[in-house]
Amino acid sequence: MKPTRILTVDDSASMRALLLHALTTQGFEVEQAEDGQQAFEWLATNEVDVVITDINMPRLDGFGLIEQLRDTARHADRPILVLTTESSDEKKRRARDAGATGWIVKPFDAEKLATAVRRVAH
Amino acid sequence: MSDLSGLPPGAGLQRVTVLQGEAHASADPNVELSTVLGSCVATCLFDPLSRIGGMNHFLLAEPPSTRSRDNFDEHYGLFLMELLINKMLGLGAVKSRVKARVYGGANLNPAMKPIGTANAAFARKFLESEGIPIAFEDMEGRAARRIHFMPASGMVRCRTAPIESAPMDKPLVRPQSASGDVELF
Repeated sequence: MKPTRILTVDDSASMRALLLHALTTQGFEVEQAEDGQQAFEWLATNEVDVVITDINMPRLDGFGLIEQLRDTARHADRPILVLTTESSDEKKRRARDAGATGWIVKPFDAEKLATAVRRVAH
Repeated sequence: MSDLSGLPPGAGLQRVTVLQGEAHASADPNVELSTVLGSCVATCLFDPLSRIGGMNHFLLAEPPSTRSRDNFDEHYGLFLMELLINKMLGLGAVKSRVKARVYGGANLNPAMKPIGTANAAFARKFLESEGIPIAFEDMEGRAARRIHFMPASGMVRCRTAPIESAPMDKPLVRPQSASGDVELF
């Protein structure tokens, strides 16, 4: 069976390395982008099953990325999980209103993250 | 908030103690962030243009007993670094301008695991990979340290402190605040 392909979007190189290790260990195929803008441009010509994005990023933040993807027919139903240190209800509500599929608070648990990815992957 | 500085508070000075597992950021010239470190590490970050600074205080968690004793769990340190950076960005700091001063990471008891060295190594590795230059470091060794950081000016005072004054740093198997909770909408 083809592995689930994930795009992680985070401006922290350390967090990208941690996510890469955690997700590939769980059997996922992982692509990575450094901010929302790079992710959006990459997704214009590439396909993934699930996007996992941080919120606070330069150029285009997580909210902006979600909004732009939801305005694109190809990505209107793409599962998008927000993975963030933000814990405020206001930010969570904003992510949900923008079209996020789920909200995960850092520091993440690799097992819980993998379970969430499997649940939302189409 | 408690005061671990042992100094009388100055006029108008708001002294904030940064405990293990916390990160604080401020642009207020009347705020002083302070902490006492044993094997923990405190990272003081400062953006000289916006004059915004912040401090965290972390201790890497011990790995499960099945893993190598030198292989400490970096999740919590990473979380507290990111939390600090995000708090500063939220106040208007710019990551590419930020410089670091790092303190702590002592190995107070040579009979115990060298967790101070592991904390110091993690801090250096994180800052290098994030492109944040280390302007100054005073880490490792066998002495406890008392740190006072003025986040709006970037000034730091570091004094060695009696070992007894350092909090009993106890590595967490997993961070207390680490829920990793998942909510699907």
